[in-house]
Amino acid sequence: MLSRIAESLYWIGRYVERAEDTARILDVHLHQMLADPWVAEDAACRSLLSVMGAPTSDDMPLSAGRVVTLLGLDSGNPSSVIGALAAARENARGARETVSSEMWECLNATWLGLPDARARVEQQGVHAFFGWVRERCAVLAGLADATMSRDEGWLFLVLGRSVERVDMSARLLSTHARAGGSIPSWLTLLRSCGAWETFLRTYRGSLDDRHAAEFLLLDRLFPRSVFAALSTAESCLAELAPGPGRAGVATDAQRIVGRSRTNLEFRGADELLDDLAGVLAGLERTCSQVNDAVSRRYFRATSAVMWVSEAVA
Amino acid sequence: MADLFENYRLGPGWDEMFATAGMPRETYESLHATLQPLSSADLGVRADVLARAFLDQGITFALKGIERPFPLDIVPRIIAAAEWSVVETGVAQRIRALEAFLSDVYGAGEVLAAGVVPRSVVVTSAHFHREAAGIVPHNGVRVHVAGVDLVRDEAGVFRVLEDNVRVPSGVSYVIENRRAMSHVLPEVFASTRIRPVESYPSQLLGALRAAAPAGAGDEPTVVVLTPGVHNSAYFEHALLAREMGVELVEGRDLICAGNQVAMRTTAGEQRVDVIYRRIDDEFLDPVQFRTDSILGVAGLLNAARAGQVTIANAVGNGVADDKLLYTYVPDLIRFYLGEDPVLPNVETYRLADPDVLAHVLDRLDTLVLKPVDGSGGAGIVIGSQATDAELAEVRARLSRDPRGWIAQREVKLSMVPTLIGNRLRPRHVDLRPFAVNDGTRISVLPGGLTRVALPEGALVVNSSQGGGSKDTWVLAAPLGPAEPAPEPRPAAPHASPAPRPDPGPGATSSQQQQQQQQGGASC
Amino acid sequence: MNSWRLEIQHETGFSYDGRVGASYNEARMTPRDEPHQAVLDARVAVWPAASTYRYADYWGTVVTAFDVHTPHERLAVTASATVETLPPGDLLAPATWADLALSDTVDRWHELLLPTPRTALDEELTALAEELRGAHRTPHAAALAACERVHTEVAYVAGSTGVQTDAVQAWRQRSGVCQDLSHLTVGLLRAMGVPARYVSGYLHPTPDAPVGETVVGQSHAWVEWWAGRWSGFDPTNGVAIGERHVIVGRGREYGDVPPLKGVYAGPPNTGQAVEVKITRRR
Repeated sequence: MLSRIAESLYWIGRYVERAEDTARILDVHLHQMLADPWVAEDAACRSLLSVMGAPTSDDMPLSAGRVVTLLGLDSGNPSSVIGALAAARENARGARETVSSEMWECLNATWLGLPDARARVEQQGVHAFFGWVRERCAVLAGLADATMSRDEGWLFLVLGRSVERVDMSARLLSTHARAGGSIPSWLTLLRSCGAWETFLRTYRGSLDDRHAAEFLLLDRLFPRSVFAALSTAESCLAELAPGPGRAGVATDAQRIVGRSRTNLEFRGADELLDDLAGVLAGLERTCSQVNDAVSRRYFRATSAVMWVSEAVA
Repeated sequence: MADLFENYRLGPGWDEMFATAGMPRETYESLHATLQPLSSADLGVRADVLARAFLDQGITFALKGIERPFPLDIVPRIIAAAEWSVVETGVAQRIRALEAFLSDVYGAGEVLAAGVVPRSVVVTSAHFHREAAGIVPHNGVRVHVAGVDLVRDEAGVFRVLEDNVRVPSGVSYVIENRRAMSHVLPEVFASTRIRPVESYPSQLLGALRAAAPAGAGDEPTVVVLTPGVHNSAYFEHALLAREMGVELVEGRDLICAGNQVAMRTTAGEQRVDVIYRRIDDEFLDPVQFRTDSILGVAGLLNAARAGQVTIANAVGNGVADDKLLYTYVPDLIRFYLGEDPVLPNVETYRLADPDVLAHVLDRLDTLVLKPVDGSGGAGIVIGSQATDAELAEVRARLSRDPRGWIAQREVKLSMVPTLIGNRLRPRHVDLRPFAVNDGTRISVLPGGLTRVALPEGALVVNSSQGGGSKDTWVLAAPLGPAEPAPEPRPAAPHASPAPRPDPGPGATSSQQQQQQQQGGASC
Repeated sequence: MNSWRLEIQHETGFSYDGRVGASYNEARMTPRDEPHQAVLDARVAVWPAASTYRYADYWGTVVTAFDVHTPHERLAVTASATVETLPPGDLLAPATWADLALSDTVDRWHELLLPTPRTALDEELTALAEELRGAHRTPHAAALAACERVHTEVAYVAGSTGVQTDAVQAWRQRSGVCQDLSHLTVGLLRAMGVPARYVSGYLHPTPDAPVGETVVGQSHAWVEWWAGRWSGFDPTNGVAIGERHVIVGRGREYGDVPPLKGVYAGPPNTGQAVEVKITRRR
């Protein structure tokens, strides 16, 4: 597969996941802010922006509306919901003969729907908009699942999605850790991942901080847990690596993901939770290292070369 | 109910549907019978479905940087089998002559020595690339793909307007138009025998493989080289790559080292044998052409010269579709093939001769003036529709640079009913059939791109000038004795019905009744 | 006849302000084998080492193409050749002005009658071409006069112009190098209706040079014109083409026969070196 196409698929995976997760995170946080009159809106907004990697030096008091604009609707920022969807579509446009036409049509139709979606925010509120985003992302995931061959392209797409999911889950957990563990509540976090019901079934209704953190970090069966996402990324990398090496792990990326996964797996839940901030920072580092290692290994020099002419008489 | 054809008046060109007002020609009878009873609302709904499908699939072209759908008119253009066979023969004949000409001008130059074409025409052509001299394609083909623009004149005769043997585009619309139309006019498809166009990608792939260099082996690697997503024809590049099952590459995906071309893949570099390029010559290789090109591949031309890779279409083909050379194509057909041209040119004046120039300058307002190396309809001045200021400007330009222009009789292009608002109106059309040369045979795709000028009376049909397109139906010939009817596919001898799909454990109707009865009656 | 045997060593190349990752070049540094000169040996070597590919271009010049993918801060190309050359033949050319005006002749040499970017003339030079043409009974005499006029009016001053300088510029400053004087002459010849071409090659600087002594020579350029047959002249030195001249390539102008040109990706080019050593061996 062409390096450039692999890179596009990897980034489609990342951007779509980013759009979905950002929508989920924003949805519950904004809901919380509106529902709880005791929340200091400015501080909560600053904390959220900072966790999402978009700190603002603005001295103006921040409002929920401003956060929606910055993280939801800013089309120039590939980390906003709309920006990520547009970036995913742009990547798909350059890989159009590789992604299935149904996936392309879904991404393209989503992109064409963005102006309407903005209007929806004004008419029906942000919740309806975030719901629409989740739905489009789900349709896309479904189409990818149903129409893509399980070849290299699929592996890069899933790899990108998993790496982004680890990153986003770590950020989501950070919003809790930063706010001193009280706001937003675990309930909110679990809801934002769509994990509330599963969690209740697993822990039979005992809503305990430790259980909740353990669930989001370590659950083996819930697909949005950090552990599950890391394991998926790891198996994608293993399939991508050319043949089993004689000694140890074949690629840098595999080593980085593997180390991170075992770090979660073989440390007790209590130990992890005592150092939650450190663990989360480590996960974010892992994601950026994996990203670099994958780019080096598979994507190589795919940028255009500027040629300079020269001549002697 | 309003009649779609209400107030339909025959225009100045040959009307393809109507011989006289209200009387459809035989070819169009079935279509006319389908359209006639439809209300404009019915047709409008179908047209909307058509437009929406194109937008969602991203079947667009970029005009001034904005992606927009290429409007597909709902009324197809129909060509009878006998008419088509003239087009087919004529187009193939032209390609054969142009192939011979290209091989000659980049080689021995016999046509020049014989004085059939003046050297001045060739050596002053902006697309005569001396860099391409000495590059001999392995199977002799330089024009792997051609698009020949035809018009029907006032008498219904197909004439050639120009040849495109560089990187002709538009074939994707032929394929997509057909797919879309079969969804919105299924009843006409059922009653008409239309020759299919979907085999084009496999024909193209066959021709590209046949052009592979000697050392490429049995399974040569073909790629489509695109300038990138921002190119107006990117949609087409992606479609062709996808349907041929080959990689769509950009210049930055390729690397040329020691005259070997390879693409960068996740598993390392992989050799490339044939490049179907959709990049202009000038941008193809910074070593030979524009050094500021970031779209091309450095070293590509010498790799082709060394016979390590095939560039399709070949570099330098533009000398054969220069509009001044066009005036010599009938002579080329006689010179190389010893045949008479099947398709006539449009009457054209060469302006190098001062007497001809003076004659043309006297009647600019009745002629069409075209820059010789313009494409996409750019720079064309239609005398009868130009303002005095425009005429004065073109007069000055012609006098300054007679080699840069040709003048043609203004042909009133033929007309086909087209949905304008909620009525059908005659609009001018042209036709670009596509031909593929695999070295043993030139196949002309039965159909081609019919472009339609949407503004009333407009004669310039290019998409870049606000034109739309029509699906082009070539009717199958009535089967003669020489051509046996295809055998109906036999059904399985004892086809017994397949078993039902397995049912799930879902609630039976009695359970449902019981569940509904629980909880007592609500108020 | 007294032929010379010349050994030529032509070193050229570029240096860069840092490492260059990739470079593609074409060298036109190989003498042609033809009636007036016999090439006994010719080779082109490249450093950093790269495989080279040789072909004859549209103008018949031997081109050595190569690409370098090992990082380098300096690119060196060395062409060496051994060539046998002949003294000037007789210069007479039979064509009349009327012969040159025949449409067949004009068509045959069309390409060599058109101005190119570096050989286009301004009004003053066009008038000069008219004057020269009017003053001479035959094209050949007019051509020699044009060479003579350029030779006397324009001073040879090394380094006074660059590869992009055109004929008009050189005329206005009344100075230039062999490339400029040749462009000027070619431009005048074409304006007179005489088909003309630009020749690139080498020159041994010393008439009657002693055998076995290596001297610093130069890349050189001169002109040829067609007046019933091809004749050549060296307007820079005001001499006929003889045993001291070695022909490498012909074209419409410098742009068709640059000794070394190419593209590279990397930091700015900081310099270029050219050195030609010529030894008369016989």
